[in-house]
Amino acid sequence: MRKIAKQQDQDGAEIDLTPMLDVVFIMLIFFIVVASFIKEAGVEVNRPDNNQPDNPEDSTSILVEVASDNQIWMENRRVDIRAVRANIQRLLAEDPEAPVTIKVEKGAEAGIVVDVADAARESGVGAVNWASDR
Amino acid sequence: MSMRDQSRSAAAEEGSQIDLTPMLDVVFIMLIFFIVTSSFVKEPGVELFKPQASTQESCERGTIIFAVDANGDIFYNKNKLPLDRALRTAEAAKKEAPQANIVVQVDRETPAYVVEDLIDVVRPILTAPPCISTDEEA
Repeated sequence: MRKIAKQQDQDGAEIDLTPMLDVVFIMLIFFIVVASFIKEAGVEVNRPDNNQPDNPEDSTSILVEVASDNQIWMENRRVDIRAVRANIQRLLAEDPEAPVTIKVEKGAEAGIVVDVADAARESGVGAVNWASDR
Repeated sequence: MSMRDQSRSAAAEEGSQIDLTPMLDVVFIMLIFFIVTSSFVKEPGVELFKPQASTQESCERGTIIFAVDANGDIFYNKNKLPLDRALRTAEAAKKEAPQANIVVQVDRETPAYVVEDLIDVVRPILTAPPCISTDEEA
């Protein structure tokens, strides 16, 4: 029996896997840690191409304008940010399919645009478009 | 041949050797999974006072992250970059991860036209509407 065991050693049939397993585990842990599960949250805003003929910013969409002094205008009236949602809901009742188009003048702040987009999404609009003034 | 069989059965009787092969298989598969899925997100690395939104949802596969700070400077991967380099940067990132979508981090006081310009510049590689990163409403 002893003799047989010795012969097996000489065969080299048994490889010690422990060091390789150590390395593999360390690599595994490294990749689990590095795999950054960054989850950015935000609002998706379409930006239609002005050069395309099939532009969704047509007359049927609900237009919200953000002026360069960060004031919000709807239907030629100044609207407070808190009233945007109610206004969009009112217009949406007339045409439930209408998208919202936000026109932003140069000089406006991105925070206001996001606030308007948020209000529009709150009122249940299907699509929010960010149109360019230019 | 008969000698080897004999020795093997003797080793099994001893029970000192545990067969590590199935475990190694599992570990290797996990390893490959994590190597493949880790997308190495490059963070812009600027502190921003993000706008709040109550309707925010997670940006699906939003791993190409640009930031525009309150001065209108564009950042990617902790570096400030001019607008005309943004497309090349985004193209390179898109090549690495074809499924990735673009996220724009903005400050509340970021000039909106810079965000517009940035989105217009990277439009050729957009496969989904760009996601504007927000904070949860308090």
